[in-house]
Amino acid sequence: MNAETPPASPAAKTNRIVSANPADRYSNAGATPDAWQECARLDYGSDRSFAWTVREQVIATPPDAYARAEEKLLKSLATPGRTEAGLAFICQMLAMVASAKSVPALAPLLKDAKTTEAARYALERVPGPEADAALRAALASLSGPAKAGLIGSIGVRKDAAAKAALDAIKDSATEPAIVRDAATRALARLANA
Amino acid sequence: MNSPLSLPALSPISRRDFLKKSSLAGALVAAPFILPSGLRGQNAPSKKITVGIVGCGNIADGHYGPLLGSPESIRVVAVCDVDRTRRDSAAARVNKDYDNKDCQVFGDFRELNRRPDIDAIFVCTPDHWHAVISIDAMRNGKDVYCEKPLTLTIAEGRAMVEAARKYDRVCQHGTQHRSMKRFHDVAEYVRNQGLGKLERIDCFIPGNNRQCGATWKPEPVPANLDWDMWLGPCPWRPYTSTGCHYNFRFIAESAYGQVTNWGAHYLDIGQWALDMDGSGPVEVDGHGEFPSSGLFTNATKVDFTVRYANGTAMTCRTRYEGGGTVRFVGERGWLDIARDKMSASDNNLLREMQAPNKKVQLELSNNHHDNFFACVRSRKRPIADVELGHRTTTVCNLGQIAMVLGRKLKWDPVKEEFDDAMANRLRTRAMRSPWSLA
Repeated sequence: MNAETPPASPAAKTNRIVSANPADRYSNAGATPDAWQECARLDYGSDRSFAWTVREQVIATPPDAYARAEEKLLKSLATPGRTEAGLAFICQMLAMVASAKSVPALAPLLKDAKTTEAARYALERVPGPEADAALRAALASLSGPAKAGLIGSIGVRKDAAAKAALDAIKDSATEPAIVRDAATRALARLANA
Repeated sequence: MNSPLSLPALSPISRRDFLKKSSLAGALVAAPFILPSGLRGQNAPSKKITVGIVGCGNIADGHYGPLLGSPESIRVVAVCDVDRTRRDSAAARVNKDYDNKDCQVFGDFRELNRRPDIDAIFVCTPDHWHAVISIDAMRNGKDVYCEKPLTLTIAEGRAMVEAARKYDRVCQHGTQHRSMKRFHDVAEYVRNQGLGKLERIDCFIPGNNRQCGATWKPEPVPANLDWDMWLGPCPWRPYTSTGCHYNFRFIAESAYGQVTNWGAHYLDIGQWALDMDGSGPVEVDGHGEFPSSGLFTNATKVDFTVRYANGTAMTCRTRYEGGGTVRFVGERGWLDIARDKMSASDNNLLREMQAPNKKVQLELSNNHHDNFFACVRSRKRPIADVELGHRTTTVCNLGQIAMVLGRKLKWDPVKEEFDDAMANRLRTRAMRSPWSLA
């Protein structure tokens, strides 16, 4: 055994309580923060070690466990103090595993111009009609370039149910050219689907 | 400086529309435009081909010399960059060479793409922009020379092929090894079983030539730079000089590091030698090393292997000393080839390689620019047509995705699908507004 020899210096004569078990001396290090919460507080340029830990766990998730990873990411999404960079990261992870279960959490973010890009990053790759419906529903909430981007995602997904809405946008006199052009291109994509 | 938030969308303008809406004389007076090729004899050798360059940085530097040194039938008439200093410098270089002041400068590629008298554009931007700019150009009737890698994602590559076919445009991938006789000869020799049964192909690519710290600080955007347009389809992040010009290639939101920077060249020769220009491997396994901290996110050590249906394996690995090479290993020996050298396990193999009248003869191009411009005139497909550019870039992507996921994946080169749901999602990515593949 490598039992420690008590220090002989004067400093050792304080009243500090020293455990007889050397392992206990490290107990004041505190618990390691939960990476799934910490990744939500990621800042641009800051240490991304916790985000990396989450990323490694997500990509190692087998298909039959996607739901569990998704659930953990949705909890991360609801972390108090979530940052813009944290939101972007979580949505990039959701893009790999999210299902229809994520749509209710992402749909409100999709309608907000400040968070729509991150939400769309995840939703564009979520299979199924729930994500299509959320993307269509956000058309009424966004304008300008953000709406053009949203229309682009609808076009990429080839959502035939959006045809009527896109036709109306294409011909709308009140929509800016950037939005009308996006609708025209999305409709062309639908036509080739 | 225009940004996507202030610039109205620009619709495609045909040459016919252009002439309808403005008299030709008026247009020629208004700007130093050269008569567009569509208004002349299409194949006349004297016909001027007018060129715009989009992206005026490091990669474009390699094009000015050949373009400005071309015969008078090739004229650079416009340059575009989101960095004012770079585009002004590029225009000054062009004007000095032509001894005039005609080169027009743009900060937004959409405006250049809609100048009706431009025949072809060279896309020399960071990788995350290649597909959007190229497709927009083809939609507006331009032929495209797109730097390597063709695109950032597999989905973007397929969209580029579809656009080229839909709009009947010539689209050359900037893998100029296809127009170097040395690479042609090796590919042809291997294709003719010169090495006997091919056992494997080993590609070596250089290590990353830039490093960064574990953390970084956002910096004020320089006055000469439109950062929002620089980012374009990328997820937004604050500006830092370390993450902008040149270094973008080490950040996975913009590029896939040396996998696409050099892999696009050497894996391309493997694809050529294997007669896989319209197809690809059926399996990939990768185990790269990625930085867990800092601004740079691409592999510091690349190591992946793709396997083709006939059993041949092609590896791609980082070589920390020396440049890129590709080695073909067959039952009769091996051949090593790089840009500046070639060697073999037996010099007789090199002599045999030069023998004429091989059964399989590959198209020979001695100059990538000349080949592109010849195809602009003839409307034939170029030596590095967009489809094969997409297929080679797909091999790079397969390696990147396998390394990210750290597992073996099956790939269907016909359906362009993995057997893995997560890997399939990594074939594409949503673009930041207002950009889109649609």
